[in-house]
Amino acid sequence: MTKTLKALMAATALAGMLPVAAAADGHAGIGIEKIGLAVPNLQADFFNQIKLGVENYAASLGIEVITVDAKGDTATQVSQVQDLMTQGIDAFIYIPAGAAAAAVPTRLARAEGIPVINVDREPDGEPGDTVIYGENVMSSYEVCSSIIERAGGSGKMVIIHGQKGTTPEVQRFEGCKMAIDENPGVELVAQQWTQMWSPDEGFSIGQNMLQANPDIKMIFGQADGIAMGAAKAVEAAGLADQIVVGGYDGDVAALESLARCDTPFVVTATQSTQAMGVLAVNSAIAVSKGASVPARQIPNAVLTDCDNAAQFVEKHP
Amino acid sequence: MSESSVNSQRGRKLADFFSLGGATGPLIGLILLCAFLTFATDSFFSVRNFLNILDQVTVIGIIAVGMTFVILLGGIDLSVGSVLALAMMVLGYLNVEAGLPMGVAIPAAIGAAAVAGLISGLLITEFKVPPFIATLAMMSIARGLASMITNGSQIIGFPAWFNMGAIIRYGGVLTMTVAVMFVVFAVALLFQRYREGGRALYAVGGNPEVARLAGINVNRVTVLVYTACAALSGLAGVLLAARLDAVQPTIGIAYELDAIAAVVIGGTSLSGGTGGIGGTIIGVLIIGVLRNGLNLLSVSPFLQAVIIGLVIVMAVAAETFKQRKA
Repeated sequence: MTKTLKALMAATALAGMLPVAAAADGHAGIGIEKIGLAVPNLQADFFNQIKLGVENYAASLGIEVITVDAKGDTATQVSQVQDLMTQGIDAFIYIPAGAAAAAVPTRLARAEGIPVINVDREPDGEPGDTVIYGENVMSSYEVCSSIIERAGGSGKMVIIHGQKGTTPEVQRFEGCKMAIDENPGVELVAQQWTQMWSPDEGFSIGQNMLQANPDIKMIFGQADGIAMGAAKAVEAAGLADQIVVGGYDGDVAALESLARCDTPFVVTATQSTQAMGVLAVNSAIAVSKGASVPARQIPNAVLTDCDNAAQFVEKHP
Repeated sequence: MSESSVNSQRGRKLADFFSLGGATGPLIGLILLCAFLTFATDSFFSVRNFLNILDQVTVIGIIAVGMTFVILLGGIDLSVGSVLALAMMVLGYLNVEAGLPMGVAIPAAIGAAAVAGLISGLLITEFKVPPFIATLAMMSIARGLASMITNGSQIIGFPAWFNMGAIIRYGGVLTMTVAVMFVVFAVALLFQRYREGGRALYAVGGNPEVARLAGINVNRVTVLVYTACAALSGLAGVLLAARLDAVQPTIGIAYELDAIAAVVIGGTSLSGGTGGIGGTIIGVLIIGVLRNGLNLLSVSPFLQAVIIGLVIVMAVAAETFKQRKA
């Protein structure tokens, strides 16, 4: 019994090698046939949009995409990237999960000699062939300037950050701080950090902040999920008239909410997430052909409010 | 037990050693799973992939060993993920920030974890706090302490050999981290089979009062088991730090659930007294092979979560069904 099983397994293993060997010869045309995509957390719409961008565009080119979701855990992501390498991917699109461990998956891919395209976050000390991330500093400056203007140019403000230490968290604070510093009447009274950039964290942190400072006039949530959670807390506290909330990313749900114009959440910066997915695939193709790509590719985000949200709901950039 | 008596009994004991107790069901499940994946994918059945799986289960495997002892005792430890994070942050702080050599930082990290377990154990035995509550509290305390060490930031910058220990396969086979896991498995199996303390676990888990009357110091056993479980979590944390080449306080969230799942899939009863390390090792491999296989099959991440949940339910239901029939 065991012997037959072993024989069967061995036979399958041998048979399994043949198509792989054949595939290795077929590297004409586009240059890549299989892309591995590692995302931190598909519960976040932002990453889901990038995934859709990569998958749809790759499908139109006849490239297979294997997506793995680390569910926010860096150790899980390293394991998943190992599995991607086993599957013989030709290029690796890598969005690091969490703030740490960014370097190890890149090293694994380097050991295989395949292109590494980073999206959204920069690995510490182990850069990929290129990094594609939404411009953060100027766009969050615009969001915060906008909520300050809507609140009349002065008053108490709070910031609910994303995951501490990640590139977008650091840069979005930097941009918002510029706007705050330009307006001496604005007082930053509280800051808190979320773990997962999630709406429930935004809600509970927002609620606590409102409890501590009922006279807040402005809230900046560093992601739309956080901002919409905080906006719900504002509505629950009955303070919808006195507070404006700004977000970031341009998630589909957020754009729909903005287009209805009926919540304290009034402005966001819409990132070109689908375009970033397309850019990542194109960069992977270019690198595998030996063409040079810029070390940094930084698509701009567009300030979005009640007036222009509807057009982005129609077609996400 | 002397070396010679071990030798003379080896033939008989060896069969006993691999009999796995109640874990034949999970073992069959594991074999079927491997067979299915071998046929369903090109890349599953290869030495390289099996070595990958061993890499991937190292952390959860070592935690699950400690968890098995705790659950055999009729207890539970919810703090393992947080204690792992605490050990990692202590390691990072001492080695990178304070500049101490690894020879000091690693024992200190494991020691910090052990102290957390010691406190849980004392809460349970001296203050009669239920294990669920005591370790729930420790889960929160250890996570908070881990975050306080760097105010929530990550630490990178370990010596290069540290990460290499998790990457380089010595003799083309074993990374240092996997080797450590095997040593832990072997020691735990031997302890459970051959040491008085190992047998005491079953006695206490089966009926603490009877065990006490039989002359077992139940409180001492309990404290030692929670300390050992936490120390193993600390050791797993050190290995995870090597694998990730970085530490951060948010690591290891929900690892206690993975470890409990592995123990339960391996046939150890949550009510204590039956099961063992052999089954747990198979439970760990089932979870590891399943996750790896689902990735290799390119199953969508959303569906993967559903399948893993179903497998846990099936494993436990099958075991319960078998016991009811027996």
